[in-house]
Amino acid sequence: MSTIQLDSKIPSGPLETMWERHKGDIKIVNPANKRKYTIIVVGTGLAGSSAAASMAELGYNVKSFCIHESARRAHSIAAQGGINAAKAYAVDGDSVHRLFYDTIKGGDFRAREANVHRLAEVSTSIIDQCVAQGVPFAREYSGELANRSFGGTQVSRTFYARGQTGQQLLLGAYQALMRQVDQGRVKFHPRQEMLDLVLVNGKARGIITRNLETGALERHEADAVCLATGGYGRIFFLSTNAMNSNVTAAFRAHRRGALFANPCFTQIHPTCIPVSGTHQSKLTLMSESLRNDGRVWVPKRAEDRLKDPNQIAEADRDYYLERRYPSFGNLVPRDVASRAAKAVCDEGRGVGQSGLSVYLDFRDAIQRDGKHVIAEKYGNLFDMYHEITNENPYETPMRIYPAVHYTMGGLWVDYNLMSNVPGLHVLGEANFSDHGANRLGASALMQGLADGYFVIPYTIGNYLAGNTFEKVTTDHAAFAEAEAGVKAQIDKLLAVGAKGKRTVTDFYRELGKLMWDNVGMARNEKGLKATIEAIDKLHQEFWENVKIPQGRGLNKELEMAGRVADFLELGRLMAYDALDRKESCGGHFREEMQTEEGEAKRDDEKFAYVAAWEYQGAGKNPVLHKEALTFENIHLAQRSYK
Amino acid sequence: MSPLRQAMRSTVGKKVLMAITGLALTLFVIVHLAGNLQLFLKDGSKFNAYAHSLESLGGLLYVAEAGLLFFILAHAVNGILIKGSHWAARGDVRYSRYQTKGAPSRQNLSTQSMIVSGLTILGFLVVHISHFKFGPGVAEGYVTQIQGAEVRDLHRLVVETFRQPGWALGYMGVMVLLGLHLRHGFWSAFQSLGAMSPRLSPVISVIGVVLAVLLALGFLGIPAWILVDPMGVYR
Amino acid sequence: MNLTLVVWRQSGPNETGAFKTYQAKDVLPEMSFLEMLDFVNEDLIKAGDEPIQFDSDCREGICGSCGIVINGQAHGPLQGVATCQLYMRHFHDGDVISMEPWRAKAFPVVHDLVVNRSAFDRIIQSGGYTSAKTGKHAEANAILVPKEDQEAAMDNAACIGCGACVAACPNASASLFTAAKITHLAMLPQGQVERARRVKRMVERMDLEGFGNCSNIGECRAACPKEISIEAIAKMRSEYLRALGSTEAKED
Repeated sequence: MSTIQLDSKIPSGPLETMWERHKGDIKIVNPANKRKYTIIVVGTGLAGSSAAASMAELGYNVKSFCIHESARRAHSIAAQGGINAAKAYAVDGDSVHRLFYDTIKGGDFRAREANVHRLAEVSTSIIDQCVAQGVPFAREYSGELANRSFGGTQVSRTFYARGQTGQQLLLGAYQALMRQVDQGRVKFHPRQEMLDLVLVNGKARGIITRNLETGALERHEADAVCLATGGYGRIFFLSTNAMNSNVTAAFRAHRRGALFANPCFTQIHPTCIPVSGTHQSKLTLMSESLRNDGRVWVPKRAEDRLKDPNQIAEADRDYYLERRYPSFGNLVPRDVASRAAKAVCDEGRGVGQSGLSVYLDFRDAIQRDGKHVIAEKYGNLFDMYHEITNENPYETPMRIYPAVHYTMGGLWVDYNLMSNVPGLHVLGEANFSDHGANRLGASALMQGLADGYFVIPYTIGNYLAGNTFEKVTTDHAAFAEAEAGVKAQIDKLLAVGAKGKRTVTDFYRELGKLMWDNVGMARNEKGLKATIEAIDKLHQEFWENVKIPQGRGLNKELEMAGRVADFLELGRLMAYDALDRKESCGGHFREEMQTEEGEAKRDDEKFAYVAAWEYQGAGKNPVLHKEALTFENIHLAQRSYK
Repeated sequence: MSPLRQAMRSTVGKKVLMAITGLALTLFVIVHLAGNLQLFLKDGSKFNAYAHSLESLGGLLYVAEAGLLFFILAHAVNGILIKGSHWAARGDVRYSRYQTKGAPSRQNLSTQSMIVSGLTILGFLVVHISHFKFGPGVAEGYVTQIQGAEVRDLHRLVVETFRQPGWALGYMGVMVLLGLHLRHGFWSAFQSLGAMSPRLSPVISVIGVVLAVLLALGFLGIPAWILVDPMGVYR
Repeated sequence: MNLTLVVWRQSGPNETGAFKTYQAKDVLPEMSFLEMLDFVNEDLIKAGDEPIQFDSDCREGICGSCGIVINGQAHGPLQGVATCQLYMRHFHDGDVISMEPWRAKAFPVVHDLVVNRSAFDRIIQSGGYTSAKTGKHAEANAILVPKEDQEAAMDNAACIGCGACVAACPNASASLFTAAKITHLAMLPQGQVERARRVKRMVERMDLEGFGNCSNIGECRAACPKEISIEAIAKMRSEYLRALGSTEAKED
């Protein structure tokens, strides 16, 4: 048994002043000494780019790694809708406290109060920072910043840059990073995949990477390591995540002892373009902002489901979100909207050939505001939909269905964003900390940038100044051991791959289906247990029968094989966590735990904790460590959006 | 390196040079055509007088000619250098298949033939200048009287030249290329100088086309007129 | 539908490449172009052949990873889309489709259809930013930005750095990419301070990378998935001329 003691290091005292006091209390590294420290940052999305740039500006030596050819290709670029900030420009009642409250409530009371409050506080600085970088946020005719509202909130606090907010924010961070590369403060390593974490005397001191162009393994040493490697939504095979998004860096750290927290908390986004066939490689998200003007419905009668939607009379339509949740209507949080869509499809009222989609209708909005207003707001999204589906959303209602979009779970971190492994920090979607069991729209960009710009630059200093570091070079035995392990795995993949029969994609697709069917929008004990067994079998077969092309240089199949191998282990962990959490909360819906109206039923008595899992080996059950969640500033209540 | 030299080495500076010299040459061509329109007149004396008055400018003429030569050479050498950089920029392996995506791309015969039309015009200039400027004159018997003075009968030389179908057709062909060159060149010059806006762009584009067509027609009209001789005056 | 694919295969940066022909059977019109390649690759892998290597990530036209010259056109026959947003319903049964990587000296081929576009990163490194360090800044609404200026900035900021402009340009010029960033920042008050230095350094870097000069043909605009206007290039030149007289630029 392990001896890990989870200490969240949440400062004492009142929540409102906690972060300010903490910044004043923690140790700092003096400017002349900063250049003596080297920090590795893996990943160049919002969290990784902003962290690397900010720490380099402070004077640290930063080594930045990404699997893409350029830092700008990280998947943060695809976020469409916006970024929340408690600027409270309007007189609609917004405040830091309300953003804090909305986020905790939206996360179904499974996030840490302290982290979320800090997030709400620094949100305003993020907007100022990005504007200073030249991010072209949408403006009013007055020249002031424009806002829109997003699902799960009743105020307008979302800042946006057309439907490309993630792109503009990432380019801002990327440009800051490139400036540091130019100044020699950041050494940038593109097309490098982290395949192991190197620990020396229990501290994270380096990583092993594979050069994806040449296949060469490389050793990189540092005084601290930051992982900003994103989420693991691609475990479902079909998701809105990019093709290269993966869990490998985080999972290899997990193998080295970092705890994986709340892995079963995954977000299913309600407004995606439905699956059309087995050829599909990924799903496309339609921005949640569409729900501001579009109305979601299905026919009241199952026999109408294949009828031309424009021929279905108003009285025969069921605007089920407006019916079930009159006060939030179409703007309920993502998990609620997704589950409601699944419910009406399960009743046989889903539309489209597959029966797995619902209408998102702009007819009334076009009548009310005119086509040009709708085109101005959503034109590019409508065009994108038209191009993919060959249907014109100005004339026929869009068809949408939920798809995996984000993972709230991730490596466990304390208030300083450090995992239980000393020196290993985890930022952005890769950590578990701020969204609880469900993330509100436009909060991912906020968290990624908060972690990178305004948290880690402070807290990394606390770790560096508070520890002594012996000189470690890449000749150290720990590096040799880690590299040998990585090499052995690649050799084994290629050896099995030379004789195997099933392609990586074939295994991947099967795993994805298992996860979607049993660890997706609804979970139950029987299905989860069966899934664990099925994954164990699939895992075993993978290592005996996978087929991989033999190239030692650039070989995307080999890259994917390594990632799928990790996903297979993670899938088991997610199912195990979902099985253990016998309550419904946020994105985690246990069919056994629901109210009579079909709403999620939380169990705060037994499950108001973070489930942090310790790795015990492939196919072995992990060990649970609990971090109790206490709510002193918010009254724990059953979530209601009625 | 001085800022100006550095600027002239940059791609942007080279295009600015191209634009300034190009526009200056366009201006010259317009003036040149305006003078040559006198060739359409039945009576050659007006044209000869015009030619003579230009020759009588003395020192000023040398300055003008030197300037013109500089613009021509700067435009040509710079253009050839730019073209060379294009070839290098594509790399060792070229596309096996290449096609334009169409409007709003302006790619057409005119853009694709800039180097060909440019080099042809350059070669043409050598012939043109050696034939009409340094060609047969008073000594060879091309003499006429203007206000009692003996001057070169350039009009006769022009008519004799363009009565030969080979010369006339050759000139006409080159003038088509000149029009083609200006078709893209005129608009391009404004774009290179950074003087472009959504409203200005189509206007300049139309002016460019009209100018190109008028200049080409004007210039090729002269040999065509003389060759065909519809009024029967040159026989 | 059944297709004949003529694909550039090159097993490494220093290897000699060549075209190879493949038959793609039972392609569905609702597949994206890249899904069609996935589908072909699955068969190649099963047959023990090397799959066709190509870059792709988001597959929704925003990351800029993908890019194939299809039948001689960067990102294929449609305008305003990246390769990943091209669907097979735009092709017909029996079509012969040629596929080549972006061809430019500044974009060396890595493998098959994968190229190295790090030259773009270096252009941004030379000045494609404001030097605002992380920290406290003026309240975001303290500096007003006219909506038209913000819209113009956004039009240019929309660049995804895919490199189609270079690929499509008969001269392999990176002017549209470079100009889009210069214009984006020149349109905003936050970009004013370093305006002269930015344009000078970025143009210098662009030239050093070995891209061709711009001949104002506008093929880049037709190939750009974000339809960025070549007015940006005119803007880059006027910014450059303006910078020549600036004292700020002389400090470098």
